[in-house]
Amino acid sequence: MAFPVHAIKSNFPIFTHLPELVYLDNAATSQKPRSVIQTITDFYTKENANVHRGLYELSSKATQRYEEVRTKIASLIGTSNPRTIAFTKGTTESINIVAYSFLKKNLKPGDKVVISAMEHHANLIPWQQVCKQNGASLEIIPVNEVGELRLELLDPLLDKKVKLLAVTHISNVLGTINPIEEIIFKAHKQNIPVLIDGAQSVGHYPIDVKQLDIDFLAFSAHKMFGPLGTGVLYCKEAFAPHVDPHTYGGGSIKNVEFEETEFLDYPHKLEAGTPNISGVLGLGAAVEYIQQLDIVEAIHHTKKLTISFKDKLKSLGGITLVGNAQNFGSIVSFTVKNIHPHDVSGFLAHAHISVRAGHHCAQPLLESMGVPATVRASFSIYNSLDDVDKTIDAILGVKQFWS
Amino acid sequence: MSSDLKKLYSDIIKRHQEAPFHFEKKTDMQNTIKAYNPICGDRFEVYIDFDRKTINQLHFHGFGCAISKASTSVLVKALEGRTLAEAIGLCENFLGYINKDLKSNEVLLQEDFKAFSGVHDFPERNDCAALAWRETKKFLESKITKD
Repeated sequence: MAFPVHAIKSNFPIFTHLPELVYLDNAATSQKPRSVIQTITDFYTKENANVHRGLYELSSKATQRYEEVRTKIASLIGTSNPRTIAFTKGTTESINIVAYSFLKKNLKPGDKVVISAMEHHANLIPWQQVCKQNGASLEIIPVNEVGELRLELLDPLLDKKVKLLAVTHISNVLGTINPIEEIIFKAHKQNIPVLIDGAQSVGHYPIDVKQLDIDFLAFSAHKMFGPLGTGVLYCKEAFAPHVDPHTYGGGSIKNVEFEETEFLDYPHKLEAGTPNISGVLGLGAAVEYIQQLDIVEAIHHTKKLTISFKDKLKSLGGITLVGNAQNFGSIVSFTVKNIHPHDVSGFLAHAHISVRAGHHCAQPLLESMGVPATVRASFSIYNSLDDVDKTIDAILGVKQFWS
Repeated sequence: MSSDLKKLYSDIIKRHQEAPFHFEKKTDMQNTIKAYNPICGDRFEVYIDFDRKTINQLHFHGFGCAISKASTSVLVKALEGRTLAEAIGLCENFLGYINKDLKSNEVLLQEDFKAFSGVHDFPERNDCAALAWRETKKFLESKITKD
């Protein structure tokens, strides 16, 4: 059966509002289905109250629904334990929590943190800064010319001095899907905990924290059809007691005296202050939306679009694909000969096509691949072959204009 | 091709982007002005030699879109040989013009400046046109107040 792309597109009100929009910036943020928007509206219209506070019905209902989202998230990522799920502002905050509230206290001069050359700034700067502050060093797994990790160089990096390995599941620039199972297996042989940046993968690809034995998984709601400003930090049970509160305040405590405070267990010890309740409920609605999709068909659909786009791009001539890994997601980075990416994206914007141009928050990666910037198109479930063709036509127009 | 896109990428801009003026790495020169835009990754360096009164030599090098490259090329061409005060005045004029600031003196506008009128219809490209001009103006002002 063909993937019901038109029915799916009709679930996203922005395309009714802007019928000409060809949205290919899904790696930056996805559009939101009606059910997510409605959930947030309903909360503020009919259910607004704070959580973990009042003994009245509205508050206890808000608390119950907020806590239920942990269970939904847990089931999405392959665990039955909702107490492994902490709500954060997003992937960036989740990673910073692990860097500052878990790693830093045990990171000594001479220790190491291993990341890869294809990390987003969010999975690079926190480790770089913590290493600088503690006299540790940051070690980098290099990337080959097609944008795959050079895993043959991983083993020599993994010695007793390595206190954590952090790597992205899917590169936001190259689209490469990394073999995280193998990376985690190798790191665990040396007892090194692993953080996976799941910003580009969770919700779009199956990810099972138990089967993969992931220690920390960071991701954002807004890239998986949920609202902005909400994210998740999954932490394996064994490490949960070793993650300290990172901001202090109400909602995270068991008992407070003037001299001493006793904190709640994970995840509540990370959620001081009034949380983003509507955001979390919206994330819950996004998970429900994802779970009613046929994820295998959805992956097949976006892969078909990605392959078609790459093939048609190549046939235009004068195009360089930046990253062309064997195992890839629905992200394509490229350059057009003699035309700067911004000039390409500016032309496309005029044809109502949204793509991203720039370094995509991965400056060191692009520098190592010898390109200052790329054009990036990223596909999602509501995109169609028609979107691919419109974009290819527009790129042809750009080339003709500059020739 | 729509007319406003044609206006944005005017012939003068295309000419400057294809054959930029004094486009050469000159790290041996007296001063380097860095014009970086962290949002989009455009990176230009403007190399400048000047004495108490006059800008003797200007070159630039780097990477950016057609608008930012052409605007830096126009800057280099317009400011070379000027006094520091004149150069600051030209920067004010150019930046005023692209910001649709009515105070900018139309009489002083060079034809090359007017080529950037297209950014009026594309406010998101304003930063591209202004990038090197803003940094150069800041640099020149710091030199003039120190003397």
